[in-house]
Amino acid sequence: MRFTIYQESRQGGRANNEDRVAYCYSRDALLMVVADGMGGHFYGEIAAQIAVQTMTDSFQQEAHPNIGDPFRFLQKAMTNAHHAILDYSAKHHLSDSPRTTCVACVIQDSVAYWAHAGDSRLFVLRRGKVFAQTRDHSRVRLLIEEGVISEAQAAVHPERNKIYSCLGGGQTPEIEFSRKTPLEDGDIVLLCSDGLWGVTSGEAMALTLKGANLLQAAPMIMGQAEVKGGPTGDNLSLVAVRWEETYVEPSASSVSTQTMAMGEVTTRLDEFGRNPAAKTDLTEHEIERAIEEIRLAIDKYTPKK
Amino acid sequence: MAQQANHALPNGFQLEEYTIERQLSLGGFSIVYLAQDLEGRQVAIKEYLPNSLALRGEGETKPQISPDHQAAFRYGMKCFFEEGRALARLSHPNVIRVLNFFRANETVYMVMEYEHGRTLQEFIQKHQGHISERFMRGLFTRMLNGLREVHSNKLLHLDLKPSNVYMRTDNSPVLIDFGAARQTLASDQPMLKPMYTPGFASPEHYGSRKDLGPWSDIYSVGASMYACLAGCAPQAADDRIKKDSLTPAMVRWDGQYSDRLLEIIDWCLNLNHLYRPQSVFALQKALVEEITPPTERKAPGWLNRVVGKIKGAAKR
Repeated sequence: MRFTIYQESRQGGRANNEDRVAYCYSRDALLMVVADGMGGHFYGEIAAQIAVQTMTDSFQQEAHPNIGDPFRFLQKAMTNAHHAILDYSAKHHLSDSPRTTCVACVIQDSVAYWAHAGDSRLFVLRRGKVFAQTRDHSRVRLLIEEGVISEAQAAVHPERNKIYSCLGGGQTPEIEFSRKTPLEDGDIVLLCSDGLWGVTSGEAMALTLKGANLLQAAPMIMGQAEVKGGPTGDNLSLVAVRWEETYVEPSASSVSTQTMAMGEVTTRLDEFGRNPAAKTDLTEHEIERAIEEIRLAIDKYTPKK
Repeated sequence: MAQQANHALPNGFQLEEYTIERQLSLGGFSIVYLAQDLEGRQVAIKEYLPNSLALRGEGETKPQISPDHQAAFRYGMKCFFEEGRALARLSHPNVIRVLNFFRANETVYMVMEYEHGRTLQEFIQKHQGHISERFMRGLFTRMLNGLREVHSNKLLHLDLKPSNVYMRTDNSPVLIDFGAARQTLASDQPMLKPMYTPGFASPEHYGSRKDLGPWSDIYSVGASMYACLAGCAPQAADDRIKKDSLTPAMVRWDGQYSDRLLEIIDWCLNLNHLYRPQSVFALQKALVEEITPPTERKAPGWLNRVVGKIKGAAKR
């Protein structure tokens, strides 16, 4: 398996980041997850964290090195995440269960399988066009489909953030599955939260990423979206992978899983409550002091010759 | 987050007072070089350079750190200081010495002593399954001297494994790579990203990590001893919790090593941390006890069994 992958989550103009992203891969399978904890509900970020954590944990258990049935895996992992969130709220006696959207994609044998609940989206971008995308579980999406409002009206609709399926919360989530989608060399699978797709259309992203270096273009898209979101912009997150066929010359940034051990899984997931960007900022002064302290300790404990 | 590997500083590069000879190893978090100081003494220099946050291209000296990663880079630097702090306070022949610590090229460097030798991992691979009991006892007893020093400074190593035990040419062991070491006894410190090696990490490494203690390092010691005999790492602790298929040393090498040694290995590898040796001292004491050579065991006939029982009773 060979691919180039990029993930990032930004706070936007909000006080805290309730989005979570993660990816992990074994020798033969790749999992990507985006969860957008719902503001307005308590502990949105906790729900999002539980969701990505549960998904990645299940992947680590099942990918040895491939997953038997990816759809079943997605179904099970998302349902487990839903129950894990409910368990959390029961354990902590929360008056209302935290909620999160979730979109997850498994790629193995060059076939993509995905599932989602809520309005976090997945796009498959092929040759500069949107080849496939998820349908948001939102009221405005239903209104558009019934022809009541247009896309343009939907973008400013007051209820555009209301969704009817999510993980956590009293209702059983409605999890929607994709078709098996075979990937071609150069296809990009992009998962994102509404903070990104709300201000940047899939078509625009497809054009920007076409033939570009993913590791440069993706942060650029995020940067532009953050500016568009403005000082009160939503959290924005993305995980994007560029799929590469193994017979094509590898690009410098690609990851090859060929040499990985059977049971090995690599995971990228920021630990909860430890968003390093938000927390520590070691000042110059502190660095100097730490080094000074270490040097003093070395002198003190080095036996004099 | 880029996945490219970082380019090492070139051979012959002058880094403060040190001249780099060559790269020794490249990890996700750092690069280790072999270098020479002004007096011509060889040293190992560890450069903090997490390749997910800082990238150094070919021919460049300073890494590129995007403003977004600046904070995370600094945060990782904190962990690197942690390792430096931990090691600087330890002065023991069986623990790697830190000689210097400095800032350059927008990152930090730790200079450590370098000696000729090899890791226990290399030794195990070379002597697959032919490591003598005497050697094991000698090596681990001395290695535990170092670990005792670590623990007495209220530190845990947390990543003990054969590749982190370096053996000088005279086979005296040195503990290296304290990248996972934490001052766990000071509880106000935020727990950092878990770091462990399957097979050698204790069950406590996997859970909430609140049960980590000297016994966790002891599990890793047991796993390393097991690896000496088996030639490879034992089953990972998280798998063992689900379904333990690790053959106890007592069963696997019955008759080839003394019962006491095998018993000690199984003792250290107990999944319940309360049933392991609780301190390095207790383990060391057991290791230096009188050695009873393995007794040839033929299946005794029923008559011999009866005779044996009577003998045993008579002795009492």
